[in-house]
Amino acid sequence: MAERDRLVMRGIRKSFGPVAALDGVELRVRPGEIHGLLGGNGAGKTTLMNILFGLYRADAGEILVGGRPAHVRSPREAMALGIGMVHQQFLQVPTFTVVENIVLGTRLRNRPGLDLAGPLRKIEALAERFGLPFDPRARLGDLPMGVRQRVEIAKALYRGVELLILDEPTTMLTPQQVDALFASLKVMVQAGLSVIFITHKLREVLAVSDRITVLRSGRSVATAPRAEATEHSLVRAMVGEAVDVDRSLLFARGEHEAALAQSGQPVRLALEDLSAADPEGRPALEGWSMTVRQGEIVGIAGVAGNGQHALAEAVMAIRPRQGRVRLDGADLSALATQQLLARGLAYVPENRWEDGCLARASLAHNLILGAHRRPPFSAGRFLQWHVIHTLARALIAEFNIQARGPEAQAGDLSGGNLQRVMLARALSQEAKVLILHNPTQGLDIASIEFVYQQLLRHKRTGGATLLISENIDELFLLCNRIAVIYRGRMAGTLKRGQFDAYAAGRLMSGMPGQDAEAAA
Amino acid sequence: MSAVAAAPVRQRVALAVLNVLPYLVAVAASFAAAGVFIALMGFDVARAYQTILFTSFRNANAFGQTLNKFVPLLLQALAFALPLAGGKYNVGGEGQMLAGAIGAAAVGILLPDLPGLALLPLVLLASLIVGALWAALPAWLLYRWGINEILTTMLLNFVSFSLVDYVATHVWPDPAAGHPTTAPIGAGGVLPVLLPRTTLHAGLVISLLVAAAAYVFVARTTVGYELVATGANPRAARVFGIHVRRLFLLSLVLGGAVAGLSGGIEVAGVHQRLIEGMQSNFMLLGLIIGLIAKGNLAAVPVVAFFIAVLEVGASAMQRTLAIPGEMVFIVEALILLFILLSDRLRKR
Amino acid sequence: MDGWESFIGLARLILLAMVPYTLASQGTMLAGRAGVFNVAQEGIMLLGASVGFLAALRGGSLWVGMLAAAIAGGLLGLALAYFTSTLKMDQFVIGLALFFVGLGASSLAFKLLVGVTLVLPQIPTLPDLKVPLLGDLPVIGPILFNQNALVYLSALVSLGLYYYLYRTSWGLELRAVGENPKSADSLGINVTAQQYAATIMGSMLIGIAGAYLPMVYTGTFTQGIVQGRGWLSIALTFFGGWRPGLIFAGALFFALVEVGSLRVQIMGGVVPHQVLRMLPYLTTILVMIFAFRWVRVPAFLGQTYDREKRSLS
Repeated sequence: MAERDRLVMRGIRKSFGPVAALDGVELRVRPGEIHGLLGGNGAGKTTLMNILFGLYRADAGEILVGGRPAHVRSPREAMALGIGMVHQQFLQVPTFTVVENIVLGTRLRNRPGLDLAGPLRKIEALAERFGLPFDPRARLGDLPMGVRQRVEIAKALYRGVELLILDEPTTMLTPQQVDALFASLKVMVQAGLSVIFITHKLREVLAVSDRITVLRSGRSVATAPRAEATEHSLVRAMVGEAVDVDRSLLFARGEHEAALAQSGQPVRLALEDLSAADPEGRPALEGWSMTVRQGEIVGIAGVAGNGQHALAEAVMAIRPRQGRVRLDGADLSALATQQLLARGLAYVPENRWEDGCLARASLAHNLILGAHRRPPFSAGRFLQWHVIHTLARALIAEFNIQARGPEAQAGDLSGGNLQRVMLARALSQEAKVLILHNPTQGLDIASIEFVYQQLLRHKRTGGATLLISENIDELFLLCNRIAVIYRGRMAGTLKRGQFDAYAAGRLMSGMPGQDAEAAA
Repeated sequence: MSAVAAAPVRQRVALAVLNVLPYLVAVAASFAAAGVFIALMGFDVARAYQTILFTSFRNANAFGQTLNKFVPLLLQALAFALPLAGGKYNVGGEGQMLAGAIGAAAVGILLPDLPGLALLPLVLLASLIVGALWAALPAWLLYRWGINEILTTMLLNFVSFSLVDYVATHVWPDPAAGHPTTAPIGAGGVLPVLLPRTTLHAGLVISLLVAAAAYVFVARTTVGYELVATGANPRAARVFGIHVRRLFLLSLVLGGAVAGLSGGIEVAGVHQRLIEGMQSNFMLLGLIIGLIAKGNLAAVPVVAFFIAVLEVGASAMQRTLAIPGEMVFIVEALILLFILLSDRLRKR
Repeated sequence: MDGWESFIGLARLILLAMVPYTLASQGTMLAGRAGVFNVAQEGIMLLGASVGFLAALRGGSLWVGMLAAAIAGGLLGLALAYFTSTLKMDQFVIGLALFFVGLGASSLAFKLLVGVTLVLPQIPTLPDLKVPLLGDLPVIGPILFNQNALVYLSALVSLGLYYYLYRTSWGLELRAVGENPKSADSLGINVTAQQYAATIMGSMLIGIAGAYLPMVYTGTFTQGIVQGRGWLSIALTFFGGWRPGLIFAGALFFALVEVGSLRVQIMGGVVPHQVLRMLPYLTTILVMIFAFRWVRVPAFLGQTYDREKRSLS
């Protein structure tokens, strides 16, 4: 059997400090197959692939490529073995052109010269053959994310890849773009390539894979042909005993309509004709109006980079904006961020590390950020550190944050724990409105479940929630209504009961539903 | 909970040892490395180090001199460390010090007959204000246009050298001096001597008060919290409603005020006049102190005292053993590098 | 023809003054393009001046001095690369520490080899080299083609760096490291090697820029010989937008200000010379107000890249 496998990984182990990310993983991939690598966040999928690609070194284990033992010490060696990888965050140089990005690091024929005419023809031929349309002369930074992904795939194909790794390739795509990607992958495997498709989405892995391997907390728990896999068996394998699958909100297949039932509650948050620009001064949000009622979760769906960040920051007055923001009828448009926080607006930014936390400060510092000028944390001009530490200890316990104590550095926490800190901070201020941006991105399943439970608790107490997410399944699961954002404008809305991925996808890619103005 | 309650004392001791140990190792390693070099040059290592370490404690006068050196070093280190808490680098302490010294000299020369109770505070206040104003230009450029403060503060040092030269040769020159020097300030503007039969002046008390105030400001006040938050992550601080750029402005101007005060104290306590070159290398040493202390305001006075001892020892070594005093500067730079290195190794 | 004479004289001085700015700034740019923000220029130039002077004095040849200054600068560059690229330590803090080292080592070396004397030893200054034919052209000849070797070298270095960065695949790889080291790394480019090479080469250029000062201006070494040119060259690098061509053009401006203020000082007049001496620094600050608004710095400038650090976003 072994000679049939293009890739064998056996007994792979890898630790980051005290944390064992991989604990004896086995993976076998055959020629001409799409192999789904399924697992929740933190299961070790990306770490495993980074080892295969030579970005990380394994602590133990062996790798066979084409039946021969391989020691992959760097990406260069991986590529020499015919392994290519499309990372979740594209590894591209935005200031370079598409061609320059693709040829970067390859040995051009007239090296060290820089003659790009030959490569250009080769790239155009590849793009044509595998159905990956893009303009090779464009500056990469000007292209939308969907196109930049095609460039990443072309980069691997240009290098003569035999085994292509795709790490969560669908997170930034509309459902229509996902279908196009899958069609390209099918062409590739027909040409004899192997594809490893990393995902945490059941639906997608079942739609495209020939075989599926499930990872759970650093171990490979099962490999099965698609025909033998069912959603239920995969979920079981993914979460093990850690989560009660049948009662879990995350895997709820039954309707949660009762929990989400809407009774004409009064409007809590009203946004009227909100507009804002990006840091370069280009309009990023235009004429946005919506309401969120008490006890309501309203979702904002859209492909990343369509103005979600501007919307969140405009509401919180973090960037200059036009338009009005009302809370329980009161006009808060003139208030600054700290006053909005004091009035009960709470914000959990998308980028936990860069926007959300003080990585080089203590948890105590982090937990009062934004509330530090208010009692009981401060009296007059002085901080009340004993009060702050008492509260911090209580929150660490209540939100089950794994940390030494209030003095622990935020930068030492895992992503899931850090997100608990963000939520603890937001919810401990008696928030009336919660604004969250991709709150579960990169979290393990237990943490995602925790975030959802906290959202529902907030909802039950009459809080309003604006949930901005690029994960459409998450929005379908939790929201009363969903507004779709496209190029800074509202492309359309969906009501609970009418949720449909393809309808949402059409709106997300700017196709009618409602017309996206040509003037803009 | 009882286990947790019992732990802190022992934990704190262990933590303190863990924090101080790398410093001791770094100092020992730097001395060892420099010692090899001194020996290779054919000097007596033991005597060299004896001179460096113990000159300051030989008698009251030497100790007074050391403390007099400690004062500008401490203030310069604070002038660097205060903006550093907010993530900004003030490398213009030299210029701010000279600007402050000019302000102090101006008041002391123009109002020579005021009694000490009035003139001395005015002299020091003038140095504080002029130093703050000197830092206000780069601070404002940073606030308004986001212009890198490292370059602007440093470039203004060179401007201040010429300004001192101008003031000392054109505005209030002392024609009897062979070097650009102003006339002396009024007697009421001179800082009193603290210990009889030494030169130790009351600037020591002022600088310690400033150090205490700086510590309380950063560690205990809400504005200090905002400064620390800004230094830890300016983006997140801004997202949670902190006026990041206003804090950059504030911290640089505060740093300038402290550096200016160091100039005023040098005028009022040591020279009684403005002298070209009086900035010595206080700023560079202040930067080294601030970096060795890793910006920790509680540690700055301790490190500053240690460096003052080294500096006094270095000049004695040069005088009596003819070993270039620059050797000590290298030792100090090495200590800094070793401290940074040990930090890095601990994180692994 | 007296007007022409003085114009030619002034133009020659400006070209002479361009050299240290050009070399130091191109050196800064080269390291910066690999993502390493060098701020030790002032120290490296001082060490280059001291070591270059001493080696020329003892070795009997200015070229020995240049070589020694380049090696001294390269060693500081090696230290910078080791601490920032290998040990992943803060670039600015290490740069400052190396600035201190350069400062201390330069006068230490001078005191050890020369001692404390009232009469400073002198070395000859760099001779002018006349380019055949071109050097005989009127006006242009004496200005452009009858200069010392380093004037030609600084122009060649600028041209060479332009060609290297934008016309070779090596340059493409170097720029990729400064823009997105993770991308470069994932494509098999050796990020550490690129950073070492760029930082060391850049620091060698800065060391030569330092050695130029005693070899052209003073014939000897003094503590204050660099006079902030290291810091000014950082400003020039920003002013030139981290591009070799614009840096060369910007150096012309910096040299113009330096020579201009010196010339006015010599002519005397109502303006005190101390005020004129401030001009280069004040002009630079003014220039930065404009430069910082349009300049694009390498995206990864000043940050440390650690491959195994788990993604922070």
